Amino acid sequence: MAVIQAILDGIMIGGVYAVISIGLTLVFGVMGIINFAQAEFLMLGMFVAYYAWAWLGLDPLIAAPLAFVVVFALGAVVHQLMIRRVLQAPVVAQIFLTVGLLIVLENAALVMFGSSFRSVTTPYQTSALQVGELFVSVPYLAAFLMSVACGVALWLFMRASWFGRAMRATAQDPMAARLLGINADAMHRLAFALGVGLTAFGGAVILPYLTVSPTVGGQFVVLMFTVVVLGGLGSVAGAVVGGLAVGIIQSLSALAFPIQLQNLVLFVVFIAVLALRPEGLLGGSR
Amino acid sequence: MRLGLSQRQAALIALALAVAIALPFAFDARGYTIRILCLGLLFAAMAQAWNIVGGLANQMSLGHAAFFGIGAYTSTLLLIHFGISPWLGLIASGILGGIAAFAISLPTMRLRGHYFALATLAFGEVMRVIGNSWSELTGGPVGISVPFAKPSFAMFQFADTRTYYWLMLAAFLVVTVVFLAIKNSRIGYRLQAIKENADAAEVIGVDTTRTKIFAAIVSGALTACLGTFYAQFQYFFDPDTVFGVASVSIRVAMIAIVGGIGTAVGPLLGALFVIPLEEAANQVFSAQVAGLAQLVFGTLLIIVILVEPRGFIVLWQRLVARRKPGGPS
Repeated sequence: MAVIQAILDGIMIGGVYAVISIGLTLVFGVMGIINFAQAEFLMLGMFVAYYAWAWLGLDPLIAAPLAFVVVFALGAVVHQLMIRRVLQAPVVAQIFLTVGLLIVLENAALVMFGSSFRSVTTPYQTSALQVGELFVSVPYLAAFLMSVACGVALWLFMRASWFGRAMRATAQDPMAARLLGINADAMHRLAFALGVGLTAFGGAVILPYLTVSPTVGGQFVVLMFTVVVLGGLGSVAGAVVGGLAVGIIQSLSALAFPIQLQNLVLFVVFIAVLALRPEGLLGGSR
Repeated sequence: MRLGLSQRQAALIALALAVAIALPFAFDARGYTIRILCLGLLFAAMAQAWNIVGGLANQMSLGHAAFFGIGAYTSTLLLIHFGISPWLGLIASGILGGIAAFAISLPTMRLRGHYFALATLAFGEVMRVIGNSWSELTGGPVGISVPFAKPSFAMFQFADTRTYYWLMLAAFLVVTVVFLAIKNSRIGYRLQAIKENADAAEVIGVDTTRTKIFAAIVSGALTACLGTFYAQFQYFFDPDTVFGVASVSIRVAMIAIVGGIGTAVGPLLGALFVIPLEEAANQVFSAQVAGLAQLVFGTLLIIVILVEPRGFIVLWQRLVARRKPGGPS
């Protein structure tokens, strides 16, 4: 029973992991760069939701679209000012630009918000549903459902809208996309802004059961990379599978190992996947 | 051993060396400035060791803290438990660092670019988690102190900070000589070929994986030795400091990049700029606002990447070239 409960918990958190990691894989798929600062946008999303709660009294689940919009706009600016300029640069410039961005965002948040840990209070914070012998925590369930809704919206956008199709075309063959009149630069900007916006959305929906501080991103960095590498870098569907897998691995390993070693299991999985199947578990095509 | 220096360069280096050796006499032997210089030289040496992998083999490691921490803990634990002199501990550190580098190279050296950076980042984090959770060995998150001994050369402890300065200077020179020797050796040309075009290098018969593993082992072993230097200089450290991503891995890479990646002078330029800047920013701001020094730091990194990703050294060469039209560009 404990195992089934752990798997259920894993799916709940895994759904959120999928949404916060999609941005990483989307940007890599479209532009071929890895945003090492991605987790900092999660932190920003959490802060937007926190202040929406503290100042406007909004529930973080309702503030999540707001977090998406704010960080989406910020992402468009960051892309315009920085990311765009290194797309043709050597790998060293691509890696260390986003590493620099990570340092800047984290410490700008420290300067602005201070280092204290903050949390919100919601009426459903401690409630849980009982189904047979299994328990489902309400904030986890709510975050999971919001993530699913967000994932479905993204899927529709990528499939059905002109922008979504143009973005996928740019990822597949930038040259051909350009010949067909697609503005690659605009598509890159859209992908980057959308990617960090989704991550911020995920940050907002997990706020009811986590605390936020400027350094919270550090807890998610390797986790997010594990998700996208498991699923295959560049594959959005892979990120969903990877997110669920990481959630389940995490909650199962909590049964066997003390809490501080939980992440260790994740790191080992991560390095093993990189070494054995760098194209991801589903991969092959890319 | 060829270091690829012209006569004029050799003369300039001899002059610079004389100044560097005499420099501590200009400062208070127990003062603050000399400690900053020590740290600057130590980080220059670490950035130079990173440069062997990052600059020559073009593999962007974000996990060098792993080797650094291994070195700091190895010599300190040998000293605490067995009373072994840190000088012997230094050798043990180098060996363990080399072994660790070999172990991590096996699964990662086929990876390129972003993938390699990701894998090494995770490796550094693994070591940090182990350092924090294996409390019986490392003392855990509270950190560990190097036991005080009567200051002597044999125990690698000195009352006079200037001695540390000269040791750090020597360490930097040794790492730099190793860097130049590799750069100008057959291995160096192979690494250069891999950097230009890995597939082409493979086709003309360069065993790219073996060459990169060799570079990684040398770099890891040297970095671990520098971990011992750090432990003996600071007397106290904890896992989050010596295994830290921001405090070691990123900082070391950044110093090399800001100064000039792949060049022998780059790490020194970078360290002598970044470390004092950081200390000054800490002095001025940190009392009021945490994070401001780091903010300056990250901004600087972004600016350098956007303006001239080859670092200060190339900026300098461009300035010189502009002043002397017709000179070598």
